[in-house]
Amino acid sequence: MTDEKKKGMSSNQLKFIISGGLFLIAVVILIISATRGTAEFFMTVEELQQSENELQGQNLRVSGAVLGESIYFDTQTGLLHFTIAHIPADEDLAKEEGELSKVLHQAVNDPDNSRLDVIYEGAKPDMLRHESQAILTGQLNSEGVFVAEELLLKCPSKYEEALPEQAE
Amino acid sequence: MISSFGYMTLALAFLLSFYGLVILIFGLIQESPAFFESARRALVLIFPLSTAGILVLVFLLLTDRFDVAYVYSVSSREMPAYLKLTALWGGQEGSLLFWSWLLSGFSLGFSSRKIRKESDLFPWAMLVAFILLIFFLGLNVFLATPFERFWHFTDGGRVLSVFQPRNAWTLTPGDGQGLNPLLRHPGMIWHPPALYLGFVGFLIPFGLAAATLITKRRDGRWIELSRTWILIAWVFLSLGLVLGMRWAYDVLGWGGYWGWDPVEIAALMPWLSATALIHTALLQKKANGFQRWNLSLIILTFGLVIFGTFITRSGVLSSVHTFAGSNIGPAMFVIMGITSIGGLGLLIYRWRDFGPSQEIEFGFSREVLTLFSNLVLLSILMVCFLGVVYPIFSDLLTGTQVTVGPAWYERITGPLFTLLLSLMGLCPLAAWGLTRLNKIRQGLTILLPLSLLVPLLIWLLGGVNNFYALAALWLAGLAAIVISWEYINAARKGLARPDGRLPGALWVPFRRNHRRYGGMLVHLGIVLMSLGIIGLEGLQQETQLRLERGESASIGAYQYTFEGIERFTEAETTTTQAVLTILYQGQPEGALYPSREVYSNLGMAVTIPGVKSNLSLDHYAILVDWQPELPDEATFRIFVNPLVNWLWIGSGVLTLGTIIAVLPKSRNGRL
Repeated sequence: MTDEKKKGMSSNQLKFIISGGLFLIAVVILIISATRGTAEFFMTVEELQQSENELQGQNLRVSGAVLGESIYFDTQTGLLHFTIAHIPADEDLAKEEGELSKVLHQAVNDPDNSRLDVIYEGAKPDMLRHESQAILTGQLNSEGVFVAEELLLKCPSKYEEALPEQAE
Repeated sequence: MISSFGYMTLALAFLLSFYGLVILIFGLIQESPAFFESARRALVLIFPLSTAGILVLVFLLLTDRFDVAYVYSVSSREMPAYLKLTALWGGQEGSLLFWSWLLSGFSLGFSSRKIRKESDLFPWAMLVAFILLIFFLGLNVFLATPFERFWHFTDGGRVLSVFQPRNAWTLTPGDGQGLNPLLRHPGMIWHPPALYLGFVGFLIPFGLAAATLITKRRDGRWIELSRTWILIAWVFLSLGLVLGMRWAYDVLGWGGYWGWDPVEIAALMPWLSATALIHTALLQKKANGFQRWNLSLIILTFGLVIFGTFITRSGVLSSVHTFAGSNIGPAMFVIMGITSIGGLGLLIYRWRDFGPSQEIEFGFSREVLTLFSNLVLLSILMVCFLGVVYPIFSDLLTGTQVTVGPAWYERITGPLFTLLLSLMGLCPLAAWGLTRLNKIRQGLTILLPLSLLVPLLIWLLGGVNNFYALAALWLAGLAAIVISWEYINAARKGLARPDGRLPGALWVPFRRNHRRYGGMLVHLGIVLMSLGIIGLEGLQQETQLRLERGESASIGAYQYTFEGIERFTEAETTTTQAVLTILYQGQPEGALYPSREVYSNLGMAVTIPGVKSNLSLDHYAILVDWQPELPDEATFRIFVNPLVNWLWIGSGVLTLGTIIAVLPKSRNGRL
């Protein structure tokens, strides 16, 4: 359609280009406004706690290792409480599954590691358990507790870690 | 051993594809068709070999051969036979083998008489098939073979190997680990194969397009030959997406069906570009143009197919689909590079040879509206792509990773999908070429007021007062009315004939022009599906609360009473099931049975929603929390999901429409 012909553009082509262009501008405006309103900053637990005050009210996304003992469902308020421990940024983790389970294990067992309390309104996901990786979307409240609106979990499979035993 | 036999068949298939490629290149250099025939025979032989390979794996799964590592990791004794079969694509190695098997099956299409007759396109299209076969069979043989077995040595050492190592004995575990409980759902039986069929089905159009670019053939024959394949692949891709939605709705238990997860997006993107292609393929036929455009779209589609497979199978992104990590990421990356750079390179290299198309006049015509729908579809595709890569780019540019979630996608694509809905209503009113105004006027004066009744009635009778939902329902109603109007008009013409009688006349529009009316049925299917989506996105109601036995929760006029809880244990699972009865204005309307299954051997739990559905809405309840110490109390999350059933019904209509559109014509040009 938009072929640069030697003759230059006909008025017909111009109509196409202008209307298509207007539509694309509308899409770009839509993208910009949605990005302003809903984009989330991806942070580690450590980064989050360093600049806790500035980040209140921002849309945030944070990932951490779940501490199994901290998982608690408050039947009065219907809120799910748990704590996550700091793990390094996601891109370093996207290697191998064995790596991920090691990182999660270390994160949970290191007492000096930064930790973050989380509340979530909703059903306890089936994969929320000790040493799973939680990826949370939400905001920090004034007490420094992370109020999660979305909760995504990743469990490293332990299958490949060891070969099975011979049956008797 | 049988598993070694399976491995050998795959290895042989791999070698044959290598042979085929070499002999084909030789033939192309020598310009000698005799070599093409030899390559074609190799291509035809690969399919039975890979079929043998996959049958061996099925046999191993069905006979509980847990000494085979793949069987051990995805199957267990208690699983019913159909699940053992499903386990074929329940893990990495199996699903890759399934992919290769489909690839070898579709490759047979290149050997069909119709394609062989195009003696210039034929060898180059086969070349594409061989390159892909070498790659995927190579994965099955070298990197992710499903035929590895456990072995142990006298000193207690254990290894994994396809063939028996020296001084080693077979190691047979007592039972397998079983399929991931989340995958034990009927939707999972059909979702992966449908999606894969959709993915791999684009092989033939892609191969023919690549051959067309190489040979500079300008008569558009490739698109004629590809048409049926594109539609078949497209319908499987659509069904794969819908089945995935159904699985998410039934199993993941958050009351939704689509989470804008990267893997979902990866499957949606080729669907969008293929949908665009189906529409401009019509323009290529009508206006004898758009050659470059269509060639670009098929290359984009196939590139996105490989990208989707890469995302799903390599585990690079966090998503509900990354069940296991993998070592095939780099290899997948290579083939992704080859297909996209190869395709793009060819396009650029031959761009001038597929010169500008015949010009289309700007105005209210079907051509212009089709082009506009293409622009909207591709904008959605662009938004999807932007969303997936946004975190990577923001990190590179600003140092902080910024991600976008479902809210972002919904805010942008919501209006765009709504626009598509209105285009489906407008398009049938426009004609090819410039539209005579009185045709539109007739449509607008009768159909437009009629369509306004839809939101009006829903507002008055259904008590819906969400403006956006009503507006979207109006557009859906308009599209449905226009499509029905067109169809009824055509059927009336059939009735007007001397032999025209009622049930027969209903078939007349399809018999006269099955492509057009099949296509309209597909549009009707999409309009029906949109009802379900509008219901879930705009009209869903939910509540979460703790109930004691006998207590009730209410949403609107519905009352849900907690009647009690039951526990029962089967071989490997303990199920806790609650009973909620539904009252509507005091009248009983059945019950919901939300439950939670704990798989003791896997240490995993699955929450299964209780769903009761009818054509107007679904009741959907999740057992959020329950403690054995307090058996008479439980927390529930209850949803009322209006119109969801139309999402599934619409997909059936869409399938039917596609079937009608691809039905072969008889000699007199009729169905």
